[in-house]
Amino acid sequence: MAVCSAYTTQSLNSTCSISTPAKTHLGFHQKQVVFYRRSSKRGGSGSGSGSSSGPCVITCSAGDSQTVVIGLAADSGCGKSTFMRRLTSVFGGAAEPPKGGNPDSNTLISDMTTVICLDDYHSLDRTGRKEKGVTALDPRANDFDLMYEQVKAIKSGVAVDKPIYNHVTGLLDPPELIKPPKILVIEGLHPMFDERVRDLLDFSIYLDISNEVKFAWKIQRDMAERGHSLESIKASIEARKPDFDAYIDPQKKYADAVIEVLPTELIPDDNEGKVLRVRLIMKEGVKHFSPVYLFDEGSTISWIPCGRKLTCSYPGIKFHYGPDTYFGNEVSILEMDGQFDRLDELIYVESHLSNISTKFYGEVTQQMLKHADFPGSNNGTGLFQTIVGLKIRDLYEQITSSKTAAPLEATKA
Amino acid sequence: MATLFTLNFVTPRATASLRDSTKGSPIKVPYLNQPMKRVLSPLESRRMQVRAAPDSLSEKVEQSIKEAQEACSDDPASGECVAAWDEVEELSAAASHARDRLKDNDPLENYCKDNPETDECKTYDN
Repeated sequence: MAVCSAYTTQSLNSTCSISTPAKTHLGFHQKQVVFYRRSSKRGGSGSGSGSSSGPCVITCSAGDSQTVVIGLAADSGCGKSTFMRRLTSVFGGAAEPPKGGNPDSNTLISDMTTVICLDDYHSLDRTGRKEKGVTALDPRANDFDLMYEQVKAIKSGVAVDKPIYNHVTGLLDPPELIKPPKILVIEGLHPMFDERVRDLLDFSIYLDISNEVKFAWKIQRDMAERGHSLESIKASIEARKPDFDAYIDPQKKYADAVIEVLPTELIPDDNEGKVLRVRLIMKEGVKHFSPVYLFDEGSTISWIPCGRKLTCSYPGIKFHYGPDTYFGNEVSILEMDGQFDRLDELIYVESHLSNISTKFYGEVTQQMLKHADFPGSNNGTGLFQTIVGLKIRDLYEQITSSKTAAPLEATKA
Repeated sequence: MATLFTLNFVTPRATASLRDSTKGSPIKVPYLNQPMKRVLSPLESRRMQVRAAPDSLSEKVEQSIKEAQEACSDDPASGECVAAWDEVEELSAAASHARDRLKDNDPLENYCKDNPETDECKTYDN
């Protein structure tokens, strides 16, 4: 898709020179056409201000329009995480590691999206961190300058050679080539830590897992591993907590959407962590992002869908929606507590949510069913991850359509 | 660091040249008769005691937990202790990802992903 933007230059007389810059802000694949018009006035044709009778430069770029960059902050490290798979599935296609490259690469590529793991920007490898006594959570272990340079380059359409951090060996492997995709997702511990990187993000998400749920999930993940015991898992979480609270947690306030996972309130004294209470905290006033709401935007609603029309099994489902403030920002919070047991519960809930940016009725349900084997497919985590994925698709479409609309207006003028 | 003298990897042809280069004393090469029994030179055996290389991820996890417990027994708040537990976390995550990858490793599916046109993989939807 070619994008052409027209620029008019101010000229004092009919002859003027236009310097063609070697590298414009569009980066690559440039073709510039310059039209000269005679200095005689055309007498008020069309819009007045700005359309002086000077020469105009029309710049067309054959390369893709600017990449949309999404940031996702999550603790568990990078890779084939469920959110990424749901997100790429919303756009269609499955995300795969780059073919023919390093088998331990953390990158995932699909037709529309490329997912980059920010662990690749570690400045210290495992032995280096051990010597210095720093964790991967510490900013000293990461090269933010390189991260900023490369994300900026990809955003402007330039391919980069990104280093690879091998999680198996703990070493930094030779770089791999990343070509600019339509949507770039940067996933890791510090997508919003550095201010310059934060400004490049078009949308940012933070997955906030509460301590009890984190402990329960880590037990499920690690108890199968020989050598791990309850004490070692607990010790590992506690040891990382100071660094986590100091460096990772503060990124919450910059996120446009926070998915907070808490233990359920429906079952008293539940410590299994199977039923979850999930809150989707959406910042108000974000460009191209309109928060999901229930029944009436801006009011406070408490909703239990189970009743006469819908029968649910224990412990049922409970929704809450309302405006709030979060770290000084105006937000809307949509909360779900409980589990989906049947298809009709899911479709019933979907039909009552508004502003979910689906293209057809039942799209959320269809996406959740497509990945019914993913963890969280029966509770708020899967639901909100899917909804955020649809919102990102909507954001992408809005950004790309606004980019094609703006140049058209300029050529009309 | 001096390279390890490869006395261990000796072929019959090389034995002859070695015999010539040394001062005439016979060189014991037990490998040729019993390749299983590897006689370690002192340098190599010292190395192997210090760094027993774990080849699978699970062993790495186990070892990292032991190291973390040792590092934390002196001072639970030190940087070494924290970094050691962080390494445990990283390796556990890598192990769980590897387990997931193994779970969905259907050879037919993998083959068909790359070659959808072959006879085994063609699908007729309409």
